[in-house]
Amino acid sequence: MAKVIVASVGYTRVGDHWDKSILDLAVEASKKALKPYPNIRPEVIIVGNMFSSQSSRQEHLGALLASALNLTRTPAFKVEAACASGGVAFNIAYNKIRSGEVSSALVVGVEKMRDLDTPEASLALSMAESAEYTQFIGASFLSLNAMLARLYSETYNVSRDELSAFPVIAHSNAATAEHAQFRKAISVEDVSRSPLVSDPLRLLDCAPVGDGAAAVLLASDAFDEDDGARVDVLSSKISTNIFSVYERDDMLKFDATRDAASKAFSEAGISVEDVDVLEVHDAFSVTAALSVEAMGFSREGEGAKDAAKGIYALRGRYPALTFGGLKGRGHPVGATGIYQIIELWLQLKGRGNANQVKGCRIGVAQNIGGVDTTSVVSVLARR
Amino acid sequence: MPLNNSLIPFKGWVNFGLKTPKNAAIAGYGVYIPRYRLPSVEVARIWRGGEEAPLIKKAVASLDEDITTMAVEAARRAIKMAETKELGAIFVGTETKPYAVKPTSTIVAQALNQHKVLASDLEFACKAGTEALQLILALIGSGMIESGLAIGVDTAQGRPGDDLEFTAASAAAAYILSKRDVGSIAVVEGASSYVSDTTDFWRRAGQQYPRHLSRFTGEPAYFYHIQHAVKNLFDEFGYKPSDFKYAVFHQPNPRFPVEVALRLGFNLEQIKPSLLNPYIGNPYAANSLLGLAVVLDEASPNDLILVCSFGSGAGSDALSIRVLDGVEEKRRKAQNKVRDMIEASVEIDYATYAKLRGKIVA
Amino acid sequence: MAISYWRRRDRYYRLLGNKCTRCNAEYYPPVYICRRCGSESLIDAEMPGTGKILTYTILREVMSGFEGQQPIIIGIVQLDNGVKVLGQIVDTPIDALKIGCKVRTVFRKIREESSAGQIYYGYKFTVLC
Ligand SMILES: [Zn+2]
Repeated sequence: MAKVIVASVGYTRVGDHWDKSILDLAVEASKKALKPYPNIRPEVIIVGNMFSSQSSRQEHLGALLASALNLTRTPAFKVEAACASGGVAFNIAYNKIRSGEVSSALVVGVEKMRDLDTPEASLALSMAESAEYTQFIGASFLSLNAMLARLYSETYNVSRDELSAFPVIAHSNAATAEHAQFRKAISVEDVSRSPLVSDPLRLLDCAPVGDGAAAVLLASDAFDEDDGARVDVLSSKISTNIFSVYERDDMLKFDATRDAASKAFSEAGISVEDVDVLEVHDAFSVTAALSVEAMGFSREGEGAKDAAKGIYALRGRYPALTFGGLKGRGHPVGATGIYQIIELWLQLKGRGNANQVKGCRIGVAQNIGGVDTTSVVSVLARR
Repeated sequence: MPLNNSLIPFKGWVNFGLKTPKNAAIAGYGVYIPRYRLPSVEVARIWRGGEEAPLIKKAVASLDEDITTMAVEAARRAIKMAETKELGAIFVGTETKPYAVKPTSTIVAQALNQHKVLASDLEFACKAGTEALQLILALIGSGMIESGLAIGVDTAQGRPGDDLEFTAASAAAAYILSKRDVGSIAVVEGASSYVSDTTDFWRRAGQQYPRHLSRFTGEPAYFYHIQHAVKNLFDEFGYKPSDFKYAVFHQPNPRFPVEVALRLGFNLEQIKPSLLNPYIGNPYAANSLLGLAVVLDEASPNDLILVCSFGSGAGSDALSIRVLDGVEEKRRKAQNKVRDMIEASVEIDYATYAKLRGKIVA
Repeated sequence: MAISYWRRRDRYYRLLGNKCTRCNAEYYPPVYICRRCGSESLIDAEMPGTGKILTYTILREVMSGFEGQQPIIIGIVQLDNGVKVLGQIVDTPIDALKIGCKVRTVFRKIREESSAGQIYYGYKFTVLC
């Protein structure tokens, strides 16, 4: 098996890009990722995207991007797994290099969300869930997570302030992250004073809508970087759960994440305690809590409480959401999984600036589609 | 034509008028009254500068209700009471169809999982419900079907500020009629209808709200047709007012049914139990069938009930209905009284009403 | 949408799920293969019309297609046969909502395409207690 290296990265700021199309964004990120190594011509281009058909009436993103990059003849395609599109695209590229099929790959996550108004974006996101039985009745993605938040708080006696801990950590880190959508710290009071959008969830419990593109150039170990701080991908695993959360016996168990994490950790030869930096899928405060529990960083029902104790803060035991996570950096759906990889890369390379986790060696990214319906967990390490 | 051997003999039977089949009977009934009530003082507050208004409320359907949903709710209750497995016909009487073209009755049929049915929507302003009931009766009497469903339902709307807005209400009443058996609730002994071309109230195709000729809807329309239909019923079948334990008239407002009852020789005791207008307003095609249902909730076997509908345009159906022994057992099992539904209500203000009934232009 | 609605109208109108003929497990939405025993022999089964609220939310920003209906209450209801079903909860004051509240199904309008388009109907829940 070939080793897989994250050679370089490129990304746009997350937020409103009124003047840029979905292709403009993808090209911008791709060019930045390709620039450091002009001699590497990616042997495959994989685009992670969820709803370009809704936002831009555009599909066929693989060839569209390849052509725009003057990389025709290169195999190129889009993969879609709702909010996990980016993570899944990364996983496929990783496996292609690992198996020896290709020796380099460009993985680009992109989403244009701001061209949709809020009800349209909400409808587009709901396509991650069952069109026939969830979307039909008017249950948006937000509403499903809100019901989960109520159940979580009731079941484990989690207070409003405890639930607010992840958004507070996210914003605290986003405040000093250049590419973040919200470069502003918030307090637990800010969260509990923000408007209810789908109770008990308030506006500041929820990742925002924003545009963005993120690209990574992956290469096999035939390629060796000269600055000495090489970032290897140790493992990447995808798992799936029973499709709709209400069809599951225990709605508070993120079994896809649990499964993907245990396999990824095992293949990487690490345990939870080895992890130095953690990017979790904090689409909603409750999602972050259930995710850290499923991966084993917190005990069942303790995720939000641990966050409130500072365990997931930048200087905590398991620094998480180090550039703001989905909540602070922003959540351009199909790009999110790639932003996570990039942020781990920045940390492991020691390029985190104000957000640097000192001496980190192993990073974990967890990217979810749906309510833990698809989960991708990847482990990266600094060699 | 030989008369069917009448199971409930009564004197003065003569062979003219609408001969009702004696082998068909009401097997179950169910009503649906939406939860919200708009007091008429709210309409007066908005449109009359707060002048005094009669102390009445009208039933208002929620924003996700229409005649289809209310018809299904009423029908499900009626079927449960009747314990009927199969229907041969479904008629929905209404003037507020959400689809101008496309039957409501097929949606009701689908929701009830009844497909081998003759299904149709009927329109005759406020009397389409009693028409539906008579058509089902005739189909059973003729032997074409074993049992059928008749529904009167409306989400009546008055133009904002119009007199009608004080009373135009929403409700549904459904009746299952079947071959007469020990479980039957009531049998229709006689029927007499009377119509004329009298345009007192109408809604042209494509128009959202009906129009009316104000006071003209009283004497030449409501009173004229009801009095003719009831008098004919009396003449044809030999009834007199004192034969009836209850009398149920169409109730467009609290005053008309009392007035017409007194003119026809009935007393207040006979009509009081069915006077629902002050509590729910006028739910058009459901109106007189709701009055019948509230009476059936309390009537005893062998009681005779007069029901007379009125539909603008114009006409009346007068029915004499004999209560049967089955009523007690069926009521006991159904545990579902009209008065409970009238009471389970929430008062709303005009703003909420405007939102629920689509009067806010977004 | 009109045709995909037509295809599922019995599911929506009557809460028609399915049931495994081997182990009797019941499902709504219906499944293709029994999750409990793996059997592919499943028959349509109407779900019971009553249950209790497991969790709920009051959604203040609705999706495209539901404009004008906000706020809408959405709940996950455990039916009397144990099946968990997602549905709107109507005619219920917000302060009367509680986990554990008994509910029953009602037949309601879900939404309409436009004033000229089709109307979609289906089940919702209303609180009994
Ligand atoms: Zn089974």
